[in-house]
Amino acid sequence: MTQHRRYSGLKVGALAVPIAALVLTGCSAPAGSNASSGGSKEFSLSFATSNTIESPFQVLGEKYMEANPDVKITFNPQPNDSYDQTLRTQLQAGNASDIVVTSPGSGQGRSILPLAEAGFLEPLDDSAKELLPEGSASTFGPEGKVFGQATAITVSALVTNETAAKAAGEFPADFAALEEQCKTLESSGKSLFALAGAAPPNTGLTAMSLAASRVYGEDPQWNEKRAANEVTFAGSEGWKSALEAVNTLKDAGCFQKGAAGAGFDAITKGLASGTSLAGFIPATSWKQLQSAAAGSEFGVRALPAESPDKSFVYASANYAFSINAAAKNKEAAKAFLAWAAEPEQTKAFAEIDGALPVTGLDAYDFEGGAYKNIGDLIKNGKYGPLPNSQWPNSAVYDALATGVQGIITGQKSPDQVLQAMDAAWGQ
Amino acid sequence: MTATMQPKSEAAEAPRRGRRTPGAGQNTRSRGRGLEFGHWWWALPGIALVFAIHYVATGIGGFFAFTNWTGIGSFKITGWANFEAIFKDPTKVGALSNTLFLAFGSVLLGNIAGLVIALGLNRVLKTRYILRTLFFMPVVLSPLATAYIWKYIFDFDGPLNAFLTAIGAGDQAKPWLADPQWAIWTVLVVLVWSSTGFAMVIFMAGLAGVPVEVEEAAAIDGANLWQRFRNVILPAIRPAVAIATTLGIVQGLRVFDPIMALTGGGPAGATETLATQVYKQAFALGNFGGGAALALVLAAIILIFAVLQQRLTRSNPED
Repeated sequence: MTQHRRYSGLKVGALAVPIAALVLTGCSAPAGSNASSGGSKEFSLSFATSNTIESPFQVLGEKYMEANPDVKITFNPQPNDSYDQTLRTQLQAGNASDIVVTSPGSGQGRSILPLAEAGFLEPLDDSAKELLPEGSASTFGPEGKVFGQATAITVSALVTNETAAKAAGEFPADFAALEEQCKTLESSGKSLFALAGAAPPNTGLTAMSLAASRVYGEDPQWNEKRAANEVTFAGSEGWKSALEAVNTLKDAGCFQKGAAGAGFDAITKGLASGTSLAGFIPATSWKQLQSAAAGSEFGVRALPAESPDKSFVYASANYAFSINAAAKNKEAAKAFLAWAAEPEQTKAFAEIDGALPVTGLDAYDFEGGAYKNIGDLIKNGKYGPLPNSQWPNSAVYDALATGVQGIITGQKSPDQVLQAMDAAWGQ
Repeated sequence: MTATMQPKSEAAEAPRRGRRTPGAGQNTRSRGRGLEFGHWWWALPGIALVFAIHYVATGIGGFFAFTNWTGIGSFKITGWANFEAIFKDPTKVGALSNTLFLAFGSVLLGNIAGLVIALGLNRVLKTRYILRTLFFMPVVLSPLATAYIWKYIFDFDGPLNAFLTAIGAGDQAKPWLADPQWAIWTVLVVLVWSSTGFAMVIFMAGLAGVPVEVEEAAAIDGANLWQRFRNVILPAIRPAVAIATTLGIVQGLRVFDPIMALTGGGPAGATETLATQVYKQAFALGNFGGGAALALVLAAIILIFAVLQQRLTRSNPED
């Protein structure tokens, strides 16, 4: 009898396991079916956000809902520092938003190429193809397909406190004059640049800005040659000169005191207060700084090159709308992208974002705006895409970013950093 | 004195003796029948969940250590390649060395400080209850939140450098968390600060079991303060030492959030540990296979040191 009781007890116990599992996993089933019954007028949108200012993606979405009252967009803002990881996890799990904001190329966790190759993104139609910035088609999808719709042209150069720069005299025209101004400013307790030395995204962007005129201005195809193993970082005079320039800037007192341990708050504080004149940050930040420091005027400038005629800036579509291949509301998502591709919306988005419009750049009026100092460079075609968007993985950029911090603290030499970048390229 | 040093108390022996009495035996049997309803298989759902959540998940993670998975898409099995890469990469070897330094440094200093505080606040002092609370506070507070406060203290424009400047030692002011020589020591200070309270509580529990009479007898026999501590108190609180050091080592080896908040592993990898490398490789750089391999190495190290440490501090060799 005892055996019988034990046997039947075992059966109950064995049943309890799948029941418990069903109870636990069953919770998600109704939610999924509700989402799919939302109809084609409803979709969700994920984007990264790093401050309390309303994201331009959300503002654009709200404009779309105003224009189409029957449409409902669920916004899913994610912290910028964990956005890549969250996006990949959600795509892998099949519960990402219908539209996700991605980046062209392959150098980041949110980059289009690896996500498209893994089958997580939906190929887009002609309206997205028409928005492809010149020469960057390969970063929007393999084999001629397009998996992202460019939102705006983001310039990566110097954001300057023009009011403080004017007070300090004329902004340097070349690198030698820049060194001199650094020394003058240092003696008055100010700095030419505010650097977030403890924030790899900022040290990496600083080094890439120094490489703009030295590497990509000289040879815009340098990344393609690196991909073909025709050149290496360690063997590149331009890259070596760029990283040696980090030491030059440090020795000339171009960075604020304690720059090696500073975070992004040091840039905001320095530029807003005018104790630093410029920072290596995405140009769209000029608008946010303008709203934080109402008494100052902010603008965008190219980092002075070794000679003025060699100036070169990065200007490319750094963000794109992509449709999740497992989206439940693809039609609604496509309708939004078609609307967002209209010239009126691309112009509006650029204004909201503080960027340049993805279409009509040739006819863009640079005069009087934040981009007036780089207008000629853009019109003359002296710009290229942000280099790391064409690098094969994020380890290369990480090696550069942490390496620059090592150069500033004296832990690493430019050669060591460049060798580490070559090693990361092959990973 | 002999009675107090006896390891097994009368109370502990009572149930065993009770079982031998006939009446008590009947009671146990009737109670046992009632409890038969609660068979071992009642634990099955819990066991299954623990197995699924802990062991299956860990096993799958361990499997990916032998692949080149990037976190998305397909993967290939690469054998021991990820482990070879770990021991060939100076950054990872540096992370391993930093992990051991921080773990053993925080255990040693945290336990010494905890023991000193526990001895000081064990008896006599009237304010000991308030002081105990204050010293235990860092354990209760969020490690991430306190790490950000420490980050502010160690900032170049922070209170520490302001203090140094105020006392005329302005030339010593530096970005502590970005200085290659000082960063790791700065992190160690924060870890010791946060672990001292926990060690203190364990030692206080140990000290509560040391009879006053034994200490008094030793004092009457002419033992000085150090001799009483060395020969009476320390042997009596040996189990507490074992617990405090084992938990301290395990905690120290896997420390993650304070380092991420203080330095993010910088400057240029100077404070990188295995735990921060696991996160960086798996989630920031998309090298999930490499991150999983590092996690396995970290788990093996924790296991080895926990077992070694238990063997070294056990009070009874037959345990």
